[in-house]
Amino acid sequence: MEIAFVHKLFHRKAKGRGEKGFQENNLTYAKVHTPYVVQGVHTKDKEMKDFLFTLGCYEGEEITVISVLADNYVVHVKGARYSIDQDLARAILI
Amino acid sequence: MRIALAGNPNSGKTTLFNAITGRVEHVGNWPGVTVAKKEGDVKKELYKGKKRIRVVDLPGAYSIAPFTSEESVTSTFIKNEQPDVIINIVDATNLSRSLLFTTQLLELNIPVVVALNKKDLVDKKSIDIDVEKLSKKLHCPVVKTASLNGAGLEELLIKAEEVVGTVQKRSFTEEKTFLAFTEEDYEGKEKERFRLVESLVKDIEVRQVATAKENGSDQIDRIVAHKYLGIPIFAAAMFLVFHLSQSTVGPFLADFLTGWIDAFGEGVANLLGENVSPVLSALLIDGIIGGVGAVVGFLPLIMVLFFLLGLMEDSGYMARVAVVMDRYLKRVGLSGKSIIPMVIGTGCAIPGIMATRTIKDVRQRRTTAMLTPFMPCGAKLPIIALFSGVFFQNSAWIGTSMYFVGIFIIILGALMVKKITGEGAARSFFIMELPEYRVPSIKRALLSMWSQGKAFVVKAATIILLCNAAIHMMQSFTWNFQVVEEGMEATSILASIATPFSILLIPLGFGAWQLAAAAITGFIAKENVVGTLAVVYGITNFINVEEFELISGAGDVASAMGLTTVSALAYLVFNLFTPPCFAAIGAMNAELESKKWLAGGVSFQLGMGYVVAFLVYQVGTLVTTGAFGQGFLPGLVAVSLMVGTVLYFMYRKKPSYEEELKEMA
Repeated sequence: MEIAFVHKLFHRKAKGRGEKGFQENNLTYAKVHTPYVVQGVHTKDKEMKDFLFTLGCYEGEEITVISVLADNYVVHVKGARYSIDQDLARAILI
Repeated sequence: MRIALAGNPNSGKTTLFNAITGRVEHVGNWPGVTVAKKEGDVKKELYKGKKRIRVVDLPGAYSIAPFTSEESVTSTFIKNEQPDVIINIVDATNLSRSLLFTTQLLELNIPVVVALNKKDLVDKKSIDIDVEKLSKKLHCPVVKTASLNGAGLEELLIKAEEVVGTVQKRSFTEEKTFLAFTEEDYEGKEKERFRLVESLVKDIEVRQVATAKENGSDQIDRIVAHKYLGIPIFAAAMFLVFHLSQSTVGPFLADFLTGWIDAFGEGVANLLGENVSPVLSALLIDGIIGGVGAVVGFLPLIMVLFFLLGLMEDSGYMARVAVVMDRYLKRVGLSGKSIIPMVIGTGCAIPGIMATRTIKDVRQRRTTAMLTPFMPCGAKLPIIALFSGVFFQNSAWIGTSMYFVGIFIIILGALMVKKITGEGAARSFFIMELPEYRVPSIKRALLSMWSQGKAFVVKAATIILLCNAAIHMMQSFTWNFQVVEEGMEATSILASIATPFSILLIPLGFGAWQLAAAAITGFIAKENVVGTLAVVYGITNFINVEEFELISGAGDVASAMGLTTVSALAYLVFNLFTPPCFAAIGAMNAELESKKWLAGGVSFQLGMGYVVAFLVYQVGTLVTTGAFGQGFLPGLVAVSLMVGTVLYFMYRKKPSYEEELKEMA
């Protein structure tokens, strides 16, 4: 499954959002400058999930995409700005 | 009395530390500058009391539960070393996230004083914070500070002394909802903590401008971190830095300095007069003043470089560089954060290697630490400047191309490491906080330039001086302690030690013992290459940068060294891309934390230097003269062996995954 995931990563065009098998309503689908409420963080990396938590990114919190720069998303969470990569953006469900 | 400075990354801890202790620790406007704890004593001027106060600056942490390795430094220190007071530095422009850590610190039974920092920014952004209410709710003193301009620091220290020995009351003790959570339900408790912090912030803070909207920094980012413009902008920024330090401002200032050194040398010669033994006068003038002078003459170039890097670090641009480079570095198995150590490494590899600690993934961290020295550092600038001046008519392309070669080697090296260690199933995510841009402070950049340049000067006055003196003595005497005759240099001690090594270097085009000796001393400090060459060839005049423009002057040096242009290029490349100075190798050892990686890393660097120099010399000689250079076949054998070994490691059948994990640990 991971191999298919990696394959799709390299064969998809710039606008692609990832395979359909995963949740569709993740941050890559968010509209810019629109506040959303985080529904969950879907990732196997527990440490990353905990880290996002300490930054204030967890269920029920507000998150806004400020801009999309190539494969990076500049997001605003709890009063601070972060740049996250596409993999991480795909893990944040809205 | 011991005070610990704790708080979120990039909140101003180290700046505060520098302000109250008078130290000049490295600061920068991005998260992850401080990776290890620093200690210092409070300045006498600030503290009127009698006790001796020791301050410990810790790396930034977002919470007491550590995520990165520098967060665990903070967490371990606070839990194990029990400071008397914790000064929690809070970025006042971001209370809702910062106060999470604050409330966690308040539960450790250590007295806390909150420094509400960056009050200059708060005032500028028209944010109103009710400090008294905050203090009452948190149950600890809150002092407004601005560590950049020193505001509030005296009051902070007074309050810190007041709370020593008192019992720290936890925050949220009235909130029954909070207390209802047990220790096991960690997540639930932290969520409730966040909720309470949120309501607290709403209570005390009045903002004029909502932060979720785009602001000035974001607009700049649209261009600077743009999908296609990002890299050219970064390349242009770095080019500007190098151009100013190596081609314009740097050499301009260097002219003055070398003029003074020359005059000093002549003055000493006059003082000594005719009666002093020629050996002693040669040692003093050619060896010490000539050698050290050759190196110190390049000091302005290095200082300008440090200054410009300091400006860049202060502006907040570094975090964006990491963002821009991430998608490309990912493809070679590195993180975007790997670019920061490399940029720092253009000044000095040692802080660059230490900066790799912010990279979470162990393999990426080690790879970056190993590859950072391939970016030409400040100490290698004299070598580049010397060779470009003598052999290449001061063409700016030589210096620039060295950096490109360095980048190419780094990419190649990263891919090789990726292949050798295996990609592994873990994909690490990239997340970086983006601080606001600010106009870089000239004062801070000057301080940074001074503190790093000072290290260089100290090095010149000690290690380089000693090395040059030793080299001079070794080349002046034979093993019988007879003075070496004119024209009989090959009988000196130095020649006999260096000659075996020089045989290895024949396939690279520079099999002269003088050059071998210079390259070896380069391991002690890269500046030594220039110093040793100056001593060994007795060329005390070429340090004068003006003479690079005189063709005859350059011709003298070139003929003295006996190098063709191609072999000069090969020699330059060799010195740039071999293992760095011992101090940097020591830093590598500290970060790699594995003898296997250290051995692999240093061998890789050695091999790379040899192979690249070989290619440059042989291919260059073939192109310019139509035949291969000396020692082609033995060199080819050596190079093939090295390449073969690497290919073997890259493509061998992997052991089982568990075995590999154990190996890598």
